[in-house]
Amino acid sequence: MTSSPHAQRAAAGRGRISVPAWAWAITLIALFGLYLIAQDNGQVLQSLGETAHEFFHDARHSLGMPCH
Amino acid sequence: MTAVLDRPDTERVPRFGQLFGRIVLAGVIAGALAGAFSLLVTGRAIAPALELEEARAAAEGAGHEHGEELFTRSEQMFGGFLGTVLAGVVLAVLFAAVYGAVRHRLPGRTDFARVMLLAAVGFGVLALLPALKIPANPPAVGDPATVDTRTAIYGGTLLCGVVGVMLVAALVSWLRSRGTGIPTTAVAATLAIGVLLAMVLVFVPDNPDTIAADVPAAVVWDFRLASLGQLAVLWAGIGLAGGWLLDRFTRRPAAS
Repeated sequence: MTSSPHAQRAAAGRGRISVPAWAWAITLIALFGLYLIAQDNGQVLQSLGETAHEFFHDARHSLGMPCH
Repeated sequence: MTAVLDRPDTERVPRFGQLFGRIVLAGVIAGALAGAFSLLVTGRAIAPALELEEARAAAEGAGHEHGEELFTRSEQMFGGFLGTVLAGVVLAVLFAAVYGAVRHRLPGRTDFARVMLLAAVGFGVLALLPALKIPANPPAVGDPATVDTRTAIYGGTLLCGVVGVMLVAALVSWLRSRGTGIPTTAVAATLAIGVLLAMVLVFVPDNPDTIAADVPAAVVWDFRLASLGQLAVLWAGIGLAGGWLLDRFTRRPAAS
């Protein structure tokens, strides 16, 4: 604990952040949600998927995702 | 110890929750900006393709698959905006988790520099790479029969990009740990990126669709540029807004 304030700050800048498990869980859920609204071709959501597909059609194309 | 060299860059490490909130807010901002781009630019680039679809349907006789539109054009434009905002939030959630995990390994003296670097990597891997391998197409181009194949190519390209970034990062870490200088490391990393990119372009299968003769090249080109522009706005927004918000926070000395 004899290091200078500057060294302490530099160490702080390099410190690790612990990423909690919920962050990865939310990431997976969010990616799956994006898949459902953008990429699902009726496999999972059936007719609701078609409605979502048509509504988000522009976003799907413009974000570069394959579409019919 | 010279004062100039020791000027404080980052004063504290954010807790993940503090990082998460700021990056997700940046995702909302970036999504709204890219959504505005969608309304102003990409939506207009899509319009000629939709006219083409209608002309085809009229030529074949009304009443087949798209006989009844579920949404009006303006509703679809709004869907384009909303979908882009949602994509911004989803990518920001992913960005926050990855940034939290790799922040201590990223070069750069400030959180702004590090967030910008990771956003540039995100754009390169999740936008530019698929744009090179399987470029975006407007409506009226894709063959419904090949959509699963094209989705697999798209997903596989993204996966290759993520693995490629990890390989390059591992190479850089290894070289730096051996004491290799920054110029040599940069050259080696650039060569590695070039080789990996070439491998993806050569070995991942190409889009099986041919673009129908009645689709003007300008319609496809304008749309692809607009699509890439929209993704550039999205990633620039996450980098700039996220970097700015986080940097303001971590530069302040921790209270107490």
